Amino acid sequence: MTIFIDLYSEGNTFLHRLDPRVKIISVLLLSLLAFVLSTVYSLAALLAFIFLLLFLSRASMGRTWFALRFVLRFMALIVILWPIFDPAGTPVWAELGPVKVTEPAVWRGITSAVRVGCLACVWYILMFTTAQRDLVRALVRMGLRFDYGLTLAISLRFFPSFMATISSITDAQKARGLDFNRGGLIKRSKKHVAVLVPAVVAALRTADSLSLALQSRAYGARTDRTYMRQLKMRTFDYVALTIVTMLFIVPLTAKYLFLVHF
Amino acid sequence: MTVVPSTHGERLAAFENVNFSYEDGTEALRGITLDIRKGEQIALVGGNGSGKTTLAKHLNGLLKPTTGRVIVKGSDTRKEQVANLARIVGYVFQNPDHQLFCSTVAEEVRFGPMNFGLAEPEVERRTERALEIMTLERLKAEAPLSLSLGDRRRISIASVIAMAPEVIILDEPFTGLDAGEAESLMDVMREMNRQGTTIILITHDMRVVAEHSDRVIVLSHGRKVFDSKTRTAFSDLKLLRECGLIPPPAIQVAHHLREYGVSPEITTVEELADELARVLREQQ
Amino acid sequence: MKALNMCDVTVRYPDTDRAALDEVTFEIDRGEIMLILGARGAGKSTLCMLTNGLIPHAVSCSLTGKVEIFGREVSEHTVAEHSVKVGIVFQEPENQLFCMSVEEEVAFGPENLAVERDELVDRVERALEIVGLKGYNEKPPSSLSGGQRQRLAIAAALSMQPEMLVLDEPTYALDPVGRIELYTLLADLKRKHDMTVVIAGRDAEEAADYADRVALFKRGRLVRVGTPEELLTVPDELRNIGVPPLQVSEISEAIRLKIHEFECRDITVEGLVSHAARTIENRRAAR
Repeated sequence: MTIFIDLYSEGNTFLHRLDPRVKIISVLLLSLLAFVLSTVYSLAALLAFIFLLLFLSRASMGRTWFALRFVLRFMALIVILWPIFDPAGTPVWAELGPVKVTEPAVWRGITSAVRVGCLACVWYILMFTTAQRDLVRALVRMGLRFDYGLTLAISLRFFPSFMATISSITDAQKARGLDFNRGGLIKRSKKHVAVLVPAVVAALRTADSLSLALQSRAYGARTDRTYMRQLKMRTFDYVALTIVTMLFIVPLTAKYLFLVHF
Repeated sequence: MTVVPSTHGERLAAFENVNFSYEDGTEALRGITLDIRKGEQIALVGGNGSGKTTLAKHLNGLLKPTTGRVIVKGSDTRKEQVANLARIVGYVFQNPDHQLFCSTVAEEVRFGPMNFGLAEPEVERRTERALEIMTLERLKAEAPLSLSLGDRRRISIASVIAMAPEVIILDEPFTGLDAGEAESLMDVMREMNRQGTTIILITHDMRVVAEHSDRVIVLSHGRKVFDSKTRTAFSDLKLLRECGLIPPPAIQVAHHLREYGVSPEITTVEELADELARVLREQQ
Repeated sequence: MKALNMCDVTVRYPDTDRAALDEVTFEIDRGEIMLILGARGAGKSTLCMLTNGLIPHAVSCSLTGKVEIFGREVSEHTVAEHSVKVGIVFQEPENQLFCMSVEEEVAFGPENLAVERDELVDRVERALEIVGLKGYNEKPPSSLSGGQRQRLAIAAALSMQPEMLVLDEPTYALDPVGRIELYTLLADLKRKHDMTVVIAGRDAEEAADYADRVALFKRGRLVRVGTPEELLTVPDELRNIGVPPLQVSEISEAIRLKIHEFECRDITVEGLVSHAARTIENRRAAR
């Protein structure tokens, strides 16, 4: 079992170099854009654009495939299920008992699937190209309180160690003859108590020592805390931000001001 | 590499050219071949990250070889459940808090035999015996988590003894223990060994290795670089150092005094004193 | 002024019968390496937490007596204020490294103290250089080895430019080579940076060669303070407090039981070897 908890992979593409704040805003704008666009063609174009960026992020094939697998499955599911639950419109392509498959419904299914694809992949780009610490740093610079940022950072940092603890506890209980695959549902869930209790105890111990460590390093000493790494917008960042903003505003104005449907 | 002559009893486990890689590609074991026999007292040593724990986890099937085979009592671990192998190989984890979850000490010790589906009287018999061996009778109704680290470690060992395995693996059992506690733990292990249990001790305390094992297996970067009787294991100081290991002072002293006729093949402080006394007497 | 001055100090945790520190009067000089020895429950961790004010400020307990850290009364200043004088490194490196990169970890303390950016960069680089982690800036702490994590924890304390470094059982997760690296680093800190170093531990084996003074604790009480030569050469002193005697002194003791004139007080392997060699040669010459 492999879990990529941290999807980030090191690199030096322009996507890696972009200011994380620009990346967060861009991802939000592109996500909104996926809702503004309503035709399958424009959404397909957006998806193509996002795929291009994904390709340019130079994430390893293994990682990209790992991420895309879920998205593609989900998209396929939407395409298949949508017409079954949406019988509106004509012409009717097929009828099977109570289920009626119509042409517009099939298109609506495909449109939604592409939209979901856009949403998922744009966030993947952010995760692939931005280190977690930069994300937290950006959020703090964008106004998140430092305490919350630190809490977020600590959760992200300790999540893998917590998973490692759980796996080590599971091993320890298996070594005492506990077989998680035997017994009914209730019996099995009872067995998880043997993992849960030590895990909670370990987490509490960690929290306790963490709090002492934080205080020993003058946490909360002053309100005018400084930051070693400053985020600085460069020309390149402004250009990128402008492009994405235009990409968002043009279809938006066209849609709501001139009533042109993209 | 030295081959250990089969001085002990039947073969309990065999590693046949075992390689193991973690999912991230780290090669943790490379070409490990070795036998483990009944009644041995083995020290498994090496620096941090040398593959000691990885090797030990192959014995009860928690890890399965990427290539090669591990045979425990005639069956291939790849075809066996950990829960079944646990009857043969008991594993005392480094951190006792990773397994304690019951509300009393007795329940904790009972947990293993219960998992084996043994009859109630047998479970009780084993629990009582394990509590007695680890001198925990007095604490049997206490909550494990309220006890000291030394007691918690003894509970975790008792809970393995209650499963009556033929092999007991102890992973760094002295971490956090005081001198007296460590000593009495070693006494218990020696007694278990005398009664026929095979003991595998994972440690970097070379004094414990010298005084409480009859065979040393040294790992370095996942390879077995050394496998011999303890008495001769400390002859190559350079090799030990390369593996991140430093022999205990008694052995260092013996080595330095070799030119005066002191034998470097000693393991304990007492043996060194005897040896020095002998050399000094010879001078008169 | 002393680095630490304790007078008649008693610390008691809630719901315990016994005091964690019991009427302890004790001093640590500036620029010395002090080894605090004792079994579990001797009061070592409590003493460590007193040195930067975690006791009484962050841990619930009652404190009586006088504790001065570099001349400042412990309860009159916050932990943050003490932390610029005293850096603490706890037992498990894992639970005190909470940042996502080595650099952030080291910068965290001085950032909290609002140190200017240029100086921050400078302090981080210097601290990483001292502990031998230069160039690891962007690495996540989880990718480091046990010994490296320990040194990172030290760097994170050093960047606050303390005058005293306190380490609570620092060799807990280290292999023998890692331990020697650690003690070499601590000796360097003392020699090159005039650091006062306090090491709490439950065995003296590797630390013996580096300590200037040793304090023996037993169940919250200070039993003896002295030089390593005075205290560590006598196996019974350590046995009395539940700490394993130095193996070298145990060897000398075992030899003396057999050869009465063998009186070696050296605590190093080299010292013992040359003493033994001399004894053998003397006998040879006498013959």
